[in-house]
Amino acid sequence: MTFEILSTPVNSPASLIFQQCLAEVDPENRSLNSAMNEVGGYFLDKTETSPLSRELWDKVLNQTNKGKSVSQTNDEHDPLLSQLPFTLRAHLKNKDIKWKSFKDVKVASIVPKDNNEKLELIHVMPGAKIPQHTHEGNESFLVLHGSYSDEYGNYKQGSVQVRSDDHNHTPVGDAQTGCIGLAYTHGKIKFSGKFGKLLNLIAN
Amino acid sequence: MAKVKNPFVEALQNIAERQDIGSFKKIFDYFGPRLKSFLMKSGADEAVAEEIIQETMSIIWTKADYYDPSVASPSTWIYTIARNKKIDILRKTRKAVLEDIETAILPPVESKADENIEHDQKFEMVAQYLDDLPKDQLDLLKMNFFEEKSHGEIAEITKIPLGTVKSRIRLALEKIRGKLEQDGSMVNLNNDSGSMVN
Repeated sequence: MTFEILSTPVNSPASLIFQQCLAEVDPENRSLNSAMNEVGGYFLDKTETSPLSRELWDKVLNQTNKGKSVSQTNDEHDPLLSQLPFTLRAHLKNKDIKWKSFKDVKVASIVPKDNNEKLELIHVMPGAKIPQHTHEGNESFLVLHGSYSDEYGNYKQGSVQVRSDDHNHTPVGDAQTGCIGLAYTHGKIKFSGKFGKLLNLIAN
Repeated sequence: MAKVKNPFVEALQNIAERQDIGSFKKIFDYFGPRLKSFLMKSGADEAVAEEIIQETMSIIWTKADYYDPSVASPSTWIYTIARNKKIDILRKTRKAVLEDIETAILPPVESKADENIEHDQKFEMVAQYLDDLPKDQLDLLKMNFFEEKSHGEIAEITKIPLGTVKSRIRLALEKIRGKLEQDGSMVNLNNDSGSMVN
């Protein structure tokens, strides 16, 4: 499953962040991802050239006068953030994480919802049980910290689970560590109208 | 294998250490036209392609100290920045939401500048391996990781069964990974491993 996700081209910020976090959580994933990136770099090097417009260099040069920005993350203020992958910390710096609490579970949106897609950070407190539920659309869930269990198994840090909207389960956060995970959800596209039935068959 | 020091490694270090405009121009002249071709093939019009190049160059200028020659070759680092920028910019809303994601592939680590020559060899070996691959296998990798096609799309285009597409791509990646994981001393011992390509 990891190979499938890492080698599927992404086209949105939400799916990009999810993919990079998956690449980061495990050294094996990371080296596989590096190999994929090297292939991209190889072809960039070999690709033909397209002439640039004359003024582009001046525009680029102009930007350099704005000086260097100092890059830092804000994890020293939030112990939770320090446990997240670098990708997420970099993305979240200078942003307030707005947690929504549902009893023992906290949920925060990571990128604005767009095109039936969402990316959320989910924090399940130690021992907390999430009521039985299905998912709207397809959900990929990556365990970033701690672990959780459901009727089907126990999922540790670095593991990823993909569930479709008919999947029914009751997750419980690990009694000691709880669980922090990243959930990437993309809804199924539903077509309506004259050719709707046919399009739904193709799309799903 | 000759000990070639990739000129762009040095250029990136010159930018990081002393904001060297000459090195920056060298990178712009080489990669700008290639990025433009890549971006236009993936759906950007000319103006948007140049906007993404401008942003990519700006990141190279401000974040050159993030570049770690042991992790990626310069073209890979630059390619990844541009691709991520493209994903952020090339959407219907045209509203960038990613912050600093472009550097996320390469968190800064302790400097390994002295070992550059070995790293060059490691990436040279990957390029050599790809150079020597039969064209039909190379095309699968190109479609997946440069033209950004899914395995399903590739199977459809090439008329190769989906399972075969996946296993061929995976096999090639494992070989590349093997080459990337060799440290400098291993690279020297295995100079002739180009013959292992098949």
